[in-house]
Amino acid sequence: MTTHPELETVDMMLNMGPQHPSTHGVFRMVLWIDGERIVDMEPHIGYLHRGSEKLCEGERYGQVVTLFDRLDYVSNFNNEQVFCRAVERLMDIEVPERAMYIRTILCELNRVASHLLFLGTYALDAGAMTPVLYAFRERERIQNLYEAVSGARMMHNFIRIGGIKEEVPADFVPRVRQLLGELRRGVEECDNLLTFNEVFLARTRGVGVIDADTAVSYGLTGPCLRASGLAYDVRKDHPYEIYPNVSFTVPVGEYGDCWDRYWVRVQEAYQSLNIVEQCLDQMTEGPIMPQMRRIARPPKGEVYVHGENPRGDIGVYLVSDGTDKPYRLKVRPPSYCNLTALRHMMKDAFIADAVVILGSLDIVLGEVDR
Amino acid sequence: MTEQDKPVSEPEESAPEGATDETAQAEAPASVRPARRAPPHEEEAPPEVLNPRGQTTLGLLMQVADPYVIAHGGRDDIPWIETRAQRLTEVARRCRDHRDLDLKMLHCLLVVDYIEHLQAVYVLLSPVKGTRAILKVNVPADEPKVPSLTGLWAATDWYEREMHELFGMEFEGHPNLSPLILYEGFEGYPGLKSFPFNDYEEF
Repeated sequence: MTTHPELETVDMMLNMGPQHPSTHGVFRMVLWIDGERIVDMEPHIGYLHRGSEKLCEGERYGQVVTLFDRLDYVSNFNNEQVFCRAVERLMDIEVPERAMYIRTILCELNRVASHLLFLGTYALDAGAMTPVLYAFRERERIQNLYEAVSGARMMHNFIRIGGIKEEVPADFVPRVRQLLGELRRGVEECDNLLTFNEVFLARTRGVGVIDADTAVSYGLTGPCLRASGLAYDVRKDHPYEIYPNVSFTVPVGEYGDCWDRYWVRVQEAYQSLNIVEQCLDQMTEGPIMPQMRRIARPPKGEVYVHGENPRGDIGVYLVSDGTDKPYRLKVRPPSYCNLTALRHMMKDAFIADAVVILGSLDIVLGEVDR
Repeated sequence: MTEQDKPVSEPEESAPEGATDETAQAEAPASVRPARRAPPHEEEAPPEVLNPRGQTTLGLLMQVADPYVIAHGGRDDIPWIETRAQRLTEVARRCRDHRDLDLKMLHCLLVVDYIEHLQAVYVLLSPVKGTRAILKVNVPADEPKVPSLTGLWAATDWYEREMHELFGMEFEGHPNLSPLILYEGFEGYPGLKSFPFNDYEEF
């Protein structure tokens, strides 16, 4: 695309990353620009490739959970849960109800924490310095709860095949209830500060548009897909664990632009808080682990299980040969697929919007590269 | 391979549960030794059972891909069919365009190394109808070749590039099978079972 056809111009190549504050990790993209317009771009990934899938083949099923923590390192519980669900499905284990409720509470709080992180850093990407401070303050409250529950702030290793590692602290329920009130106020605060801010709207409205059909073809899932107007949520369409027992709505965007992707995430955070509240009301006493062998050995076979991560649809394809280690384990990383569409979104965008578009996908490179 | 690397004793027939016997699987040098595994359980694997929704989907799949189905099965509401590599594009296109199947999203693409053959697995999903299905293609390990599906789903691009560099799977018709996640100059296919595993390398 040439703006002045009478002039002889040459596209300029611009390298961005891998060490760049707004790529949220080690991610590099090469942009070809014509003046202020992006003509073409090419993403380069793999700087964080650790071969997690191959490593899983050398670990016992119970040990693989730790590797899943390190995929998407800001929504660890969701990752652990999807792997454990895959093994449980293969072994036909029934998870005790209390364990499922505790898992769901932790996962949904993780979703709020992840969306808060997105909210803060996205504002930073768009040029607003303040919300990140508020968002991190709120996220810290969730991290403190996680520390009390699992002993770790990030790499929890708490969800086990069949249930959870240990009983939660005695003051868990009142503490989460108090946390819910604080978080609601916190999310609202950031929401009020940013959502309809005129400058923020100007930066994000109509930028990085992707329509529903293209989004589906690119395999976009999670908030990125819902922002394009398709209400696909694994928790609703293929309900698992205790999601059939709780009521929540799936926020859907209209235009599939950056603002819609932002807005869907903020609304999802509110919905997650509602889910946690319902879980606290419904939760009863009971066992947290079923009777099972200490070393999991699923029978021969394969299974595909997927669940809703804050970033999208995380899937696990597990092939078992009947031994105590997975024969093949494939993770379908949501950020990876969302990143595929980046090129489509960035074509013909302004160079100043490159960061805003990338930020709106909310990628975690630990998961993209695996 | 020096004298010290040679196995000291014969490997045991079956190691006891949870045992970490150093001599087990010591017949190969350390660099090509696969991960140690405990022996499988004696008990029979339960058969895979499809629920009514899965049965319906499988019925539709069979109807769509009728003459080209080699095997089929499934679990819960995710049926799978196996087809031949030559027919893959046609079957995949029919699955995508069928009104009731509506498998508009390629959810996941992976390759499994079964040593004597490689298996490409395509997990398909319909975000509107909620149907899920899996296509499988077996190809010989010495000539792993399947047609590229880049024309059907845009998501295929990166998946195929990744599977090409990890497993050496050839996707015929892919516009650009350049390396995606491994560093430049990397040799070998690390996804394969034959790739040296529990070993460190000077870098």
